[in-house]
Amino acid sequence: MHAKKIQDEAMMHSDSLIERARSGDRIAQGKLVQLWYKRIYNYCYKFFLDHDLAMEASQKTFISMCRNIEALQDVMRFKSWLYKIAVNCCREEARRTKGARAVSLDQVINLDSEESPHWEKTVRKQEDPEKQFQQQELSDMLQQCLMELSNEQREVVIMKEFEGLKFREIAEALNLSENTVKSRMYYGLDALKRILEKRNITKETISYEL
Amino acid sequence: MSYKPDEALLMAYLYGELQGEQKQKVEEYLANNAQAAAELESLQFVRKAFTHIEDKEVIAPPIVLESSNTRALWKTHYGRMILAIAASFTLLILVGKFTGMNIRFENQVSTIGFGQEKNTSLNQSAEQPSLSATDVQQMIDVSLEKNNLAWQANLAETQNQVDAVVRKNLVSYSNQQFDALVKKVSVASDEQIRQFALSLQADNARMIKDYLTLNSGDQRKYMEELLVDFAKYLEQQHRNDLQVMQARINTLEQNSNVFQYETEQILTSIISSVDNSSGLVTKN
Repeated sequence: MHAKKIQDEAMMHSDSLIERARSGDRIAQGKLVQLWYKRIYNYCYKFFLDHDLAMEASQKTFISMCRNIEALQDVMRFKSWLYKIAVNCCREEARRTKGARAVSLDQVINLDSEESPHWEKTVRKQEDPEKQFQQQELSDMLQQCLMELSNEQREVVIMKEFEGLKFREIAEALNLSENTVKSRMYYGLDALKRILEKRNITKETISYEL
Repeated sequence: MSYKPDEALLMAYLYGELQGEQKQKVEEYLANNAQAAAELESLQFVRKAFTHIEDKEVIAPPIVLESSNTRALWKTHYGRMILAIAASFTLLILVGKFTGMNIRFENQVSTIGFGQEKNTSLNQSAEQPSLSATDVQQMIDVSLEKNNLAWQANLAETQNQVDAVVRKNLVSYSNQQFDALVKKVSVASDEQIRQFALSLQADNARMIKDYLTLNSGDQRKYMEELLVDFAKYLEQQHRNDLQVMQARINTLEQNSNVFQYETEQILTSIISSVDNSSGLVTKN
């Protein structure tokens, strides 16, 4: 928790780092990648619900960032600029894989079977394994709800709800007006509400689950 | 009371990005409109539900970029421009080649044409007999030869003339005349030297004499002046002495006079006193 706070602080005050990266400092660029990789990966993961595609899109995002950061005009707009790249990479990746019919191994292999690589993944140890399992299940279910949204709505919802961007920043990243972003957000939340209702996820069920 | 915030405003309110009057208005609207408040509440629940999605932990893989970040020349703006110009020229040349285009600037006349040129001036010049290189060379050789011959003739003539003049002069001045001339010149020079020495001696003697006479005259005059001055000085001294002595004598005279006067006074006083005393005595 504390470490996360420190990282958030670092991201908030990374102006000088961005300045150095902009002037071609490879070390600063590397540090920026370290600082932002988790956020961009999680954006991509929520967009695809697929680790490999998310990794691919994240890496492309950061390669593009390192190549083009010298052209970044305003340091203050770095965040929206980075998400803009991420959005474009995700869209490109989605287009590319649309006809490829590639399926993640996670979906092919039965996760519960003993030979599944899922068991080998290192999972954070918690005091209550049952609670942890329930939490994981709920998280997965909610992720799948997200996947039912349209791409446009999903982009806005992820950026606002999970990445904490301001509406202005989302508008910059998506090249849209702020009002369009807000109304997409509204319809996105409304759609999610209906999806949750359809899956019978309510206040009560959630509190029962946890 | 017909105020109804649109979705955008509601979203801004939901995410706390609304401030001031607008926020107040939305709050008032929600307070008065239970249905809208419930709807917003349900959206708030959706938001809350999705907080259960956890971030995936991931380790950033190393991002390797090629070392040189420089763009290829043809990708830069100027590179493209240069390439475009070069391509245009190539195209022009190719088109010119196939259409037989001919652009020329000759004798202050610019010509643009296609195909074979019909040139009349060229035919005219072809009719005239042309000079070949050997012809020109021959012409140059002939003229050079002529020039050389003329110069040689001229040189020989002047040489002959100079020779003749020198010979004539030599004949007119024989050896005897030369000797006489030389002797005359030497004698003349001896006499001249002697005369010059004599005149020099005379000049010298005169100069020394003048100097001596001038010198002795001046000296005498000076001595005389000196003596006169000395005499004058002595006289003046005498006169001064006499004056001093006169003054002394005068003062002595004055002193004796005063003394005389005083003694007279004393004597008179004594006499009078004596007279008085004698008078008293006689009275008594």
